[in-house]
Amino acid sequence: MSIPSDLATVRPSEDVAERRKELSRRTRRKLVAIAGGPNCGKSTLFNKLTGLRQKVANYPGVTVEKKAGFVPLPSGRTVEVLDLPGTYSLRPGSPDEVVVRDVLLGVQADTPLPDLTLLVLDSTCLERQLYLCMQLIEIGRPVVVALNMMDTAREEGLDVDAALLSRAFGAPVIPISARTGSGLAQLREAMDLEVAAPRAVTRTLPEPLRAVAEGLARMLPASGPLACLNSFHVAMALLLDEGEDDSLMRAAPHPVRREALARRARLDAEIPEWRSHEPIGHYRTIEDLVRRATLRLKPETSVRERIDRVLTHRVLGPVLFAALMAVIFQSMFMWATPIMNAIDAGVNALGRVLSPALPAGPIRSLVVDGVIAGVGAVVTFVPQIAILFLFISLMEDSGYLARAAFIMDRLMRGVGLSGRAFIPLLSSFACAIPGIMATRTIDNRRDRLTTILIAPFMSCSARLPVYALLIGAFIPNRMLFGFLSLPGLVLFSLYVMGILAAVLVAWVLKRTALRGPRPLYVMELPPYRVPSWRSVLLTVRDRAGLFVQKAGTVILAVSIVLWFLASYPKNAEVKPLEKRLQTLEQSMKSDAARGGRAEATAKRAEAAQVQNEIAGVSLRDSFAGRAGRLIEPAIAPLGFDWKIGIALLSSFAAREVMVSTMATVYNLGDADQTSVSLRQKLRNAENPKTGARSYSPLMAVSLMVFFVLACQCMSTVAVVRRETNSWGWPIFMVLMMNGLAWIASFAVFQGGKALGLG
Amino acid sequence: MTPRGRAPERRTRKLGELKAGARAIVRRVSGEPELLRRLMELGFVPGTTITLVRRAPMGDPIELRLRGTHFSIRHSEADRIDVDPF
Repeated sequence: MSIPSDLATVRPSEDVAERRKELSRRTRRKLVAIAGGPNCGKSTLFNKLTGLRQKVANYPGVTVEKKAGFVPLPSGRTVEVLDLPGTYSLRPGSPDEVVVRDVLLGVQADTPLPDLTLLVLDSTCLERQLYLCMQLIEIGRPVVVALNMMDTAREEGLDVDAALLSRAFGAPVIPISARTGSGLAQLREAMDLEVAAPRAVTRTLPEPLRAVAEGLARMLPASGPLACLNSFHVAMALLLDEGEDDSLMRAAPHPVRREALARRARLDAEIPEWRSHEPIGHYRTIEDLVRRATLRLKPETSVRERIDRVLTHRVLGPVLFAALMAVIFQSMFMWATPIMNAIDAGVNALGRVLSPALPAGPIRSLVVDGVIAGVGAVVTFVPQIAILFLFISLMEDSGYLARAAFIMDRLMRGVGLSGRAFIPLLSSFACAIPGIMATRTIDNRRDRLTTILIAPFMSCSARLPVYALLIGAFIPNRMLFGFLSLPGLVLFSLYVMGILAAVLVAWVLKRTALRGPRPLYVMELPPYRVPSWRSVLLTVRDRAGLFVQKAGTVILAVSIVLWFLASYPKNAEVKPLEKRLQTLEQSMKSDAARGGRAEATAKRAEAAQVQNEIAGVSLRDSFAGRAGRLIEPAIAPLGFDWKIGIALLSSFAAREVMVSTMATVYNLGDADQTSVSLRQKLRNAENPKTGARSYSPLMAVSLMVFFVLACQCMSTVAVVRRETNSWGWPIFMVLMMNGLAWIASFAVFQGGKALGLG
Repeated sequence: MTPRGRAPERRTRKLGELKAGARAIVRRVSGEPELLRRLMELGFVPGTTITLVRRAPMGDPIELRLRGTHFSIRHSEADRIDVDPF
């Protein structure tokens, strides 16, 4: 085959750019990428090496997390270390694996080609782990292999010949234990040295396939991002770069791309099963290598089998899982609630302490009601996030999370999801924020997105005050059939409705926006391990920290905007009320001096009433109040008036804000959902034009249905934005949920009216 | 069935049809190219010995052991793998 002429000559401009890049590569800090399969102890090693010198970000355009840190070496130099996501193969099948391949081949946009790859292998199950190793060695870039969990392997009576592996790969192989830290000194020393590129591993491939790949390899340009890699590996990688992402293809020059596609088509026609030959060939070499390098000194123990016999038992398994879920769920409520209340009290106290120090008026209001309240809104989520991730990382690191998914898979399949989706959805009954963050354990991108989008349908604890207020005010406390409490039944139905909506939306999404090739639901069930507290606590810290940093800024900004909308413009009616308040306060002072008790109490009550009126007038006439009137025509068919419109808008800060907003609108100050006067006010509220009752039980049901389905939570939006790394999905979610809420409430209210219920 | 009316000892069948605890050798894996390659990369290569360790409480998925690693795999995927029982 002749080489196209435009490939033989390299354009000089490219060459100069490349040389410049190479130069900067030499002068900058050395970059070490840590690669390895899932569950190989890679993250434990990363944490051990970097300590607290880490930072977490996203790779551009994808939701894959980029974890980087710095490691001091014996020579005094510091290297930058990148913790790549766990992967089984360099032929990617998920966004995570695309990133791993792209980083290791130097085509990842924001990451230079690593100077060294540290490959972590779990010594206790070497055979499957060596697959990635074979591919990595073939790239032809410097590699250091860390044989992790050597202590466990020895305890289990498994001997691994590191020297033999080192000779086979032509790369340093260092036995370590990331958990205990043994061997890490040698690892640091190896990272300090200039490691030579490894020896190419022999691989068996059928001749026609080899010829096709070699032909493509010869066409690769002599410069550019792929030039310093083994050309045969790059050729095979190009041939196998199909599926969703083709970032490697895009990194290759146009003629090479065309040639790769042509050769792939030819292979498909001539050797239909050609894709299987790489694994078949690699495993042949691996089997031989494992036979020579490992020795089982005593028969395998059955610790894992004994634990699994209980934890995945037909009856005991689900029972224990349910019990554990109950504990997690309870902790998210019980442990988090006192901390959240303390935070709330702290935030209020801070506001009170700061108030006198600030000039009365807009600045004080901005700081106290805008900024401090906003920070409070962010911080209150932290306890629940920390508790959920404490459990999740304990389950993940011990190996139980995979068993939980194994048990729940059949159930979740009904919705088109896998067992991994269960815990995030369950947690969302407490709060969707930690629930959505927990979807990180779902490796399939479409499943993860579906789970994120349906999680907010689970009735979270913030909806409870709203339900409590409306049920208390409008649903008669009657028994049905003598044993079913009507309020209880209504509350239960609201929870069921959220679940049904989630199932429906998941079903639709899986057939429309998130349709795609059926993923391979194969999941490793790792051996049980004792989790390392350090790793668990670092995960908890990471999650909470990331939430505060990334989602927190959005939440704070929206809080300030909401504060502004509810406080401005200032109303003229407020002036005389404020005057009245001032005179009242002054006369109260003089009364106190004279000692008139009864009079003072009456005046205090009046002052409180005036204060509530001021709050009511200001809110009713604020931008938020006007917006409430503006949207009235849109929500009138659902049975809502403009006052509820204000509550709907302001509850975007958090759903429970609806209750205090209704209280303010009705001049009741800061009443909560148990307030009898607020319930009475709602029941007796009249439409000034018609004189009829504003709200009926039917409207209350319609409103509760709206709260079940609508996305009225800026924190959810912020966290979805962060977890999907896009604004598109959160916007879609808001439109979808609120559209659904409107339709359902419309159906309830209009249907109910047609049936003569309201 | 053999002429004498007795089932032969070794007969190729689908992986999902094995009993819990049974061992078998992978004979053939079929499916769309992408899925096939993924399964192969995980070690489901012809000639590999597989043990069906157990079924999940609801009967599906199943736990397999191969090459020293345990996997959970759904029935629908296990049916792509033809095995020769021991």
